[in-house]
Amino acid sequence: MRKLSATVLILSFFYSLSGFASQPLDANIVHEKVLKNGLKVLVKEDRRAPVMVSQVWYKVGASYEHDGVTGLSHVLEHMMFQGTDNLEPGEFSKIIAANGGRENAFTGADYTAYFQTMEASRLEVSMRLESERMQHLKLQEKEFVKELQVVMEERRMRTEDKPQSQTYEYFKALAYTSSPYRNPIIGWMQDLEDMKLTDLADWYKQWYAPNNATLVVVGDVKAKNVFALAEKYFGPVPEVKFKPVKQRKEVPQLGIRRAVVKQEAKLPYLLMGYKVPVLNSIDKEGDVYALEVLSGILSGGSSARLPSNLVRGREVASSVSAGYDLNARLETLFLFDGVPTKEHTVGDLEEAIKLEIESLKKTLITAKELERIKAQVIASSVYEKDSSFYQGMQLGMLETVGVGWQKEATYVDKVKAVTADQIRAVAQKYLINDHLTVVHMEPQTTKTNAKESQHAK
Amino acid sequence: MLNKLKCVIGLLAALFSSVSFALPTIQHWQLNNGTNVYFVPTTGLPILDVQLMFDAGSAHDSGKLGQAALTSALLDESAGGLTAQQVAENIESVGAQLSASASRDFSSITYRSLTDEKVLATAWPVFTDVVNSPDFLTTDFNRIKQRILLSIKQREESPGTLAQLALYEQIYKGHPYKNPIQGTKKTVTELDVEDVRRFYQQYYVGKNLTIVMVGGVTRQAAEKLVDDLAGELKAGARAAQIPSVPVVSTGLKVHKDYPSQQTHLLYATPVLKHNDPDYFALHVGNHILGGSGFSSRIVKEIREERGLAYSAYSYFNAMRQKGPFLLGLQTKNESVTEASTALKETLDTFITEGPTKEELLASKKNIRGGFALKLDSNKKLMGVVAGIVVSGRPLDYLNNYLQNINDVTRDSIKDAFRRRVDMEKMVMVTVGNSDTKK
Repeated sequence: MRKLSATVLILSFFYSLSGFASQPLDANIVHEKVLKNGLKVLVKEDRRAPVMVSQVWYKVGASYEHDGVTGLSHVLEHMMFQGTDNLEPGEFSKIIAANGGRENAFTGADYTAYFQTMEASRLEVSMRLESERMQHLKLQEKEFVKELQVVMEERRMRTEDKPQSQTYEYFKALAYTSSPYRNPIIGWMQDLEDMKLTDLADWYKQWYAPNNATLVVVGDVKAKNVFALAEKYFGPVPEVKFKPVKQRKEVPQLGIRRAVVKQEAKLPYLLMGYKVPVLNSIDKEGDVYALEVLSGILSGGSSARLPSNLVRGREVASSVSAGYDLNARLETLFLFDGVPTKEHTVGDLEEAIKLEIESLKKTLITAKELERIKAQVIASSVYEKDSSFYQGMQLGMLETVGVGWQKEATYVDKVKAVTADQIRAVAQKYLINDHLTVVHMEPQTTKTNAKESQHAK
Repeated sequence: MLNKLKCVIGLLAALFSSVSFALPTIQHWQLNNGTNVYFVPTTGLPILDVQLMFDAGSAHDSGKLGQAALTSALLDESAGGLTAQQVAENIESVGAQLSASASRDFSSITYRSLTDEKVLATAWPVFTDVVNSPDFLTTDFNRIKQRILLSIKQREESPGTLAQLALYEQIYKGHPYKNPIQGTKKTVTELDVEDVRRFYQQYYVGKNLTIVMVGGVTRQAAEKLVDDLAGELKAGARAAQIPSVPVVSTGLKVHKDYPSQQTHLLYATPVLKHNDPDYFALHVGNHILGGSGFSSRIVKEIREERGLAYSAYSYFNAMRQKGPFLLGLQTKNESVTEASTALKETLDTFITEGPTKEELLASKKNIRGGFALKLDSNKKLMGVVAGIVVSGRPLDYLNNYLQNINDVTRDSIKDAFRRRVDMEKMVMVTVGNSDTKK
């Protein structure tokens, strides 16, 4: 460890931002190697700046959890910074910081990922530390008790005191029946309160292994060197025999679901979601890309239909959007959310959105609209290259959810191939009332005496 | 090569005498109407990023609170005879992106597109209309005004936003920074479209404008683009200087009841102006105190030792006039006393004792090693350049940045904090549910 401090000092000599100056756009090749223990390593060389991002993705997240232990994946993510057999709590972060790095981690429904962004020659530091915590995490009661408090504060901040976020939590729990997507990623508060250190130890043992992980490195690196380092640090980590993951498919929805959620809020809020397939869940991927373009037609920019017709036009929405994640691991929701204008109710907004959907089912979208969405997708695919972090995200996520990283390269062409007929067809097939969940959030004001006090110190 | 050097260099001192960076060179020129243009050519990606910054922030609202924000929000509605729908369609038909925003000091317009000629031929004339001839139609005005009024109402459902507003109200008493950027329900209701037109006429002028361009175009092309974009703007008059922030005589504690599970706590005082001589000492000091995540003292004390908050931090926000030095956290209502005591103690100790030798060394390593990360994309580069030029720093700022960091000492940090941060005059704002407070 000590050596690090000496090496970091000299880096500045070598990085040269003239590196901004070279790299043909098509240098877009992903190098893949699978180690004997099953660790998949993906490398994308990008020499625009003398930096790299290194990400380790584990195939585990909130959608792997069962009732009563929700939030485990996320709390474990927090504990991964709290010490290993060879690192004190917090030492991981300290070493990364001393190397000029930035680091963090994130947990989603379908993944848990850890990353470091550093000057490119620091890659080895990141690999050594990640291989350490992949196999030698030391879960300690004292750190656990404290970290659990931190996570509860995180939950209060992100959910309990955010009316729209809390509404979304209830919405998901209503929309899904048997799918694990019904649970919040951060976990229910009761489950956090009940969590034990042994739950985490089991979870770690069950999922943290090279054959359940993907290492992604993007930046000013050579694939050959990355593979050699990966072999050195991760090669010796033993693989683990996994039981197959339970499928937990959502049961068919047999009719519209509705609820009211009352919140301490000032503005009403609408959430709507239709059950739709994803790349992972059906063979007909044409439907999935058509749904992707459909979400662009509705919500891709200020000229899309929802802002054009509902924000301007009929002025029924103060804000409104549609969203769809074709890369979810399991069947998901085609979502709408919005806040009505002062003159309108959430009910009016719901009706207005449904009229837009009906119009998509009846009338083909214009060639101009379709071209506009495609132009945006093509431009965005170039903008994304401005961020090595984002490029790494794409590869890691696609691989981790089971879609496969190769899909990243074909995305633009698949979108370009979508026709107006396909869009009308998927609107007719999937955006139907029987598969819809609607939640109206109704603002409430509890009587607090709006006390305000001031004291000079 | 690196390995050889490893054995030669080991001392900080040796490092800075011999650094030779190929840092981006910022090119500068001025248009006839006084517009200052800063350009960094890049190659590698066919992307053009542009940011326009007008000295037209909400600090210039002068009584009609919210007019800067409303003006800014109306720019990319109808312009040059095109409807808002046509503006959006034209920009998005070639995948370009356009947005406008207002802060207390500035109103900005941000543009991104591919450098392709066809793309620019479509998007640039519309961008030019947005800058030069927004139509400010009454229909657009009324719609955007209603949207802002709703968003003002929505502030009331966020304890964090309420805390921020209450804090600015207290630390900037008698100064335009005290007002919310969007204004208040009353002031925005009273605004009419003529206010917006007048504000635009007065402030969206050449002498008030700084343009930053970063991207894959030649200098020649950049000059032509900028001429088309801003060459026809009136020269106008520079905005009046924002007045100095009055000195606060005494500290204050303000509490607002809010039915939330957490109490949001902010502790602050105005300190830092753009290009302040104490900047580097305060910046490195804050990096150690609460600006560097897990390695900082505040996170250690509040989160790692006590588990009291998910997010705890401190920052210096440099502004035209003294921007806030601010410490913040949010914790369950029952813990607010414990958290505020720990936070104040952490600051007090830091001001009294300064950083340790180890802390200073570690933070310098982090800042130095992370320097390349600040500039590793066109988007970040544009942000950095914009920050340099609007704050009036020299254009070779980046070349001397690491030297300036290196020159900071424990004494200079301690000295700067002692002179600039007086805890007796700091304001503490809490917003949360005091009923459950012990």
